[in-house]
Amino acid sequence: MAILEELLTILAAVGMSWARMTAALIISIIFSLCVGIPAAVDRVAEKIIIPVLDILQSIPILSFFPIALYAFIIIHPVIGPELAAIFLIFTSQAWNITFGVYKSVRLIPPELLEASKALDLSLWRRLSSLYIPAAFPGIASNLPASWANGLYFLVACEIISIGEARWSLPGIGTLSTSYIMAGRMIEFIMSLAAVVAAVILTNLLVFIPLMRLSERYKFEERAAEIPRVWIEKVSGWLSRVARRISFSVSPRITLFELRIPWKASRILLIAVLMVMVALLGHSISGRVSAEVTLAWAQDVVEAFQRLGVVDPLVMIGFSLARVSAAVAFGLLWTLPVAILIYEKRTLEKILIPPFQVIASFPATLILPLIAKTVMDLGLPLELGAFLMILLGTQWYLLFFLLDGLRSIPYEEEEVCKALAMTRLQKLRHLYLPRILPSLIMGLIVCFGGGWNTLVIAERAVLGGFTWDLRAPGIGRMLSIAVDEGDLALLIAATIWMAGFIVLLNRLLWRRLYEKAVRIVGVA
Amino acid sequence: MNGAGIKEPILELRDIVFGYKLRKGENIRIFDGLSLDVKYAEFVGIAGPSGCGKSTLIRIMAGLIKPEKGEVLFRGKPLKKPTPRIGIMFQNPALFPWYTVLENIMLALIHEKDLSEEDKIERARVFLDMVGLTAFESAYPAELSGGMKARVALARALVSQPDLLLMDEPFSNLDPLTAISLRREVESLWLNQSMPPSSVVMVSHDIEELVELSDRIIVLTKRPAKIAGIIEVDLDRPRQRRSPEFYKYVDEVYTLLS
Repeated sequence: MAILEELLTILAAVGMSWARMTAALIISIIFSLCVGIPAAVDRVAEKIIIPVLDILQSIPILSFFPIALYAFIIIHPVIGPELAAIFLIFTSQAWNITFGVYKSVRLIPPELLEASKALDLSLWRRLSSLYIPAAFPGIASNLPASWANGLYFLVACEIISIGEARWSLPGIGTLSTSYIMAGRMIEFIMSLAAVVAAVILTNLLVFIPLMRLSERYKFEERAAEIPRVWIEKVSGWLSRVARRISFSVSPRITLFELRIPWKASRILLIAVLMVMVALLGHSISGRVSAEVTLAWAQDVVEAFQRLGVVDPLVMIGFSLARVSAAVAFGLLWTLPVAILIYEKRTLEKILIPPFQVIASFPATLILPLIAKTVMDLGLPLELGAFLMILLGTQWYLLFFLLDGLRSIPYEEEEVCKALAMTRLQKLRHLYLPRILPSLIMGLIVCFGGGWNTLVIAERAVLGGFTWDLRAPGIGRMLSIAVDEGDLALLIAATIWMAGFIVLLNRLLWRRLYEKAVRIVGVA
Repeated sequence: MNGAGIKEPILELRDIVFGYKLRKGENIRIFDGLSLDVKYAEFVGIAGPSGCGKSTLIRIMAGLIKPEKGEVLFRGKPLKKPTPRIGIMFQNPALFPWYTVLENIMLALIHEKDLSEEDKIERARVFLDMVGLTAFESAYPAELSGGMKARVALARALVSQPDLLLMDEPFSNLDPLTAISLRREVESLWLNQSMPPSSVVMVSHDIEELVELSDRIIVLTKRPAKIAGIIEVDLDRPRQRRSPEFYKYVDEVYTLLS
């Protein structure tokens, strides 16, 4: 009976977390449409949006969470933490979906754009009959990754403590951490199993049908007939019901028939943006006076002075070494495994589904377990940090490498075969050059994930005890700042870290990627 | 005529059986006991309705695809896997975009352990010159036109000095003028006794092209492909496309195809 009760508690917690994630995902999708479509269709918007998104996605999410939390508590003290959690999950889900929308909309054949111009379609008609359907595949294909990402941060944002203030939001992250702290391993394993089951069900029932449905909206040729999925049936049924109701209740819903001329829409967009910014500014400035803002700014400057220059650089150096070690180890096993899976078709069918489940499983759920085990067994603390970062990064690499290998044109494979190349020769002349862009892309994402994990891996307050590396690290610095409730220090450390990451992306990764693309000659 | 009198086969296909399995478990038979041979110094053309397995056939000849049953004999010995002694040119040039033209050609010398790097460069240059692209040795494939890419692919197929050259619709992606000049080049290379290859097998859906180049045209039937007929083309080279004799052969192939 106790087990059954516990199971119900776990399921309720999963439900609560899932509701939080769904809310964030819906906001992410709306955001991706509002931002991704303009970026894809308007040159000016593209020049602004893409670099901003690029910087946003390289800022470690966990570092600005406390800042966002403060802002949301100012907006509303009671539901603030909940809003902050949704906001944090949103920031982990939105960027890749937005890039997906941007890429999909850019794939619209020019003839269709010209046709819509020739027909002089209004803004709404263009959105509903061209841009949103075109964006659908970009959204659908990014849903599983976004969900996995959100899940990863869900655990971190359900338990919040800044200085003395503590919040725990009801959900599976809070529950599972409390199980570990209490040493209730059976319940902990049950909660893990519940998350795995929920992830698999969500993918099977929602994401995979949606992805299959989105095949219809792709512009490229496709080989086979796409079977109807249940979502389509339900939505067809719903729309029939809705039509019946709307016919019987009102003459017609005319809201969407509003004709906004296409040319006026850009002005409208800018106006809407300005109103939104003004509203946001007003809601914050109504509660924070100018003097307070100025005092904050002074605090931050003072925090920068406290930090100095050498210390942050040393911390970043240590952190970079930690992430690099984990990523290097990840590459060491994922490269051969990816090649093996690519070459052996049968292996793909056996290995990929479990890999996908493991990959979408939030590593943050096990971090407390790793921390506790390493400390209890007296293992080197760095090993714990290494494991945590590895768990948070290795899967990206595997899937990016597989993507790269799968993009190899069949003709090139055939040439290698006709030239009777050995496996080593093939690796050197075909695989390595071909996967180079995906490899670098994977490394970028991997390092991004690594920086994020650092905020937990170097130091974390886990309910009953504190996991602390006791060695320099920028993630540790952030964690200390959160713990002491020193917001100014937190902002300063975040700017150091984010600045370094952006610099690393611009100076190293971006250049490497462009070089790789040039070498491989991909358009 | 070139190589007349030599009747030794360089390549023999004996009772080839091959099929694809569809996902539904249905088996599609492509070849159900197909036998044919290619003689030394012979230019063989292969025609057939689309989807009859012409491309599959050329891949079986190259050792790229293993038949389910039957034997492929190359110079009297079973062909187990691709060999540098057989060159192949695909419909798509499939050059590696990250290598220069010269490096792409040198890739085909990967197994020549006795050659030094300089020798390989030297040899690749000879063949690059042969296809008339000397000035482009350090260009990258992306900088070449379709016709130039096809020439590089031809040089790569020949640099290992194969006895047999296999071509799968080699001119179908080219504009008509480029195709004409490339056809002439292939013909003169094959006619030149001191240069590889000795024999050529070409798959094409362009009947005129087949009649222009082939000593023998093997016409295949629909799936599972059998030999509908073999036409010996007895015309002097270079062949004139406008002559009535030429069209007699073209009509003959069309009759066999329909």
